[in-house]
Amino acid sequence: MADYVHPEALVSTEWVSEHLKDPSVRIVESDEDVLLYDTGHIEGSVKIDWQADLQDQTVRDYIDKVRFEKLLSEKGIANDTTVVFYGDRNNWWACYAFWVFKLFGHEKCVVMNGGRQKWVEEGRPLTKEVPSYPKTSYKSPGIDASIRAFRDDVVKHLDGKKPLIDVRSPKEFTGELLHMEAYPQEGALRGGHIPGAKNVPWATAAREDGTFKSADELRGIYIDDKGLKEGDDVIAYCRIGERSSHTWFVLTYLLGFGKVRNYDGSWTEWGNLVKAPIEKP
Amino acid sequence: MSRIEDIIELFSEADYQAMLGMLLDYSESLPPLPEEFREARDAGFNRVAECETPVFVFVGVKNGAVDIHADVARESPTVRGFVSLLVDAFNGAPVEEVLSAPENLIHNLRLDSKLGTRRMYGLSAVYSRIKNEVRKASGEA
Repeated sequence: MADYVHPEALVSTEWVSEHLKDPSVRIVESDEDVLLYDTGHIEGSVKIDWQADLQDQTVRDYIDKVRFEKLLSEKGIANDTTVVFYGDRNNWWACYAFWVFKLFGHEKCVVMNGGRQKWVEEGRPLTKEVPSYPKTSYKSPGIDASIRAFRDDVVKHLDGKKPLIDVRSPKEFTGELLHMEAYPQEGALRGGHIPGAKNVPWATAAREDGTFKSADELRGIYIDDKGLKEGDDVIAYCRIGERSSHTWFVLTYLLGFGKVRNYDGSWTEWGNLVKAPIEKP
Repeated sequence: MSRIEDIIELFSEADYQAMLGMLLDYSESLPPLPEEFREARDAGFNRVAECETPVFVFVGVKNGAVDIHADVARESPTVRGFVSLLVDAFNGAPVEEVLSAPENLIHNLRLDSKLGTRRMYGLSAVYSRIKNEVRKASGEA
């Protein structure tokens, strides 16, 4: 992990196994499958669901600051707790939860490299016991607007001809498909991509075992092949902003880009906006 | 009341946690796939293609009753739980009962509002597949 620009944003499964009872650490499992945690999880870990816990159920937005503070207090997370995220599917949802925690300004966030898959493949134990921790009085320092892009920001970004990374599958990028294959059609009326965006499917950054590729391999993908340059201001998007949070993590922490934003409105917003420019091959 | 109507009632009264608990119980109680179907499963037959999770369903009709067996990866407990629920509801049920089960079952179980519509696509594909297979096996297709 040493070659990454911010190796401190990752911990290994071994490190986690040695910090199961560390009171300064809270392990958070975040999965695509809402029941996976309940079938067995890392001892002492708590579950945070992207849909039920982090998203507002009425407005298309995240929970507000007060509810975030309540959620973290109930999970026994204090302002100075190191939160370790892990989950299924190459840490896809773990990175999403990490991004939301960063949005609310939580300082010490790390991802367990390899996620749930690696932990299980190494034969490490899982438990069904759900822990409970004394409530904290968590206070969010405020929203970090620098990591989230809204559609107007994307329009400005386009005007400035700045780089966009579209992390959807090639068929979604070309507009042949309106959603990920075998995944729900989430209601975009138009197919294609934001003009000028480069396509790097999110999982390109992960190895078979769910860990991130090496710094050299990642530089080869994003810098040599796709032309990102040091100091670039980058916006990543997908369909609803979850896959792109994985790429946001890679660009920000592993490659050290200083200004990367996740456009969580993503294609389900852009592909429905009247008169929004679209590129289609 | 049919078994599926009973289950709908149970789910409609359950809060989020209780619903997760019921689905988890279902996912753990899916009967193992009988020996006679394993070869077909291992060869990749009877897989529900629309569902990203590997789901295999074997549906037949014997003496007017539905005969249904399924296998789902343990790594996908939500899908596994839902399929197990369908097996519980439909295995041994009269054909007519399965064919007249509500088209919007997932909505009636309130899974869509509780788990998010994004998670529902694979589930509705499995449900349609089972109904279609019953329709075919009973000669009503």
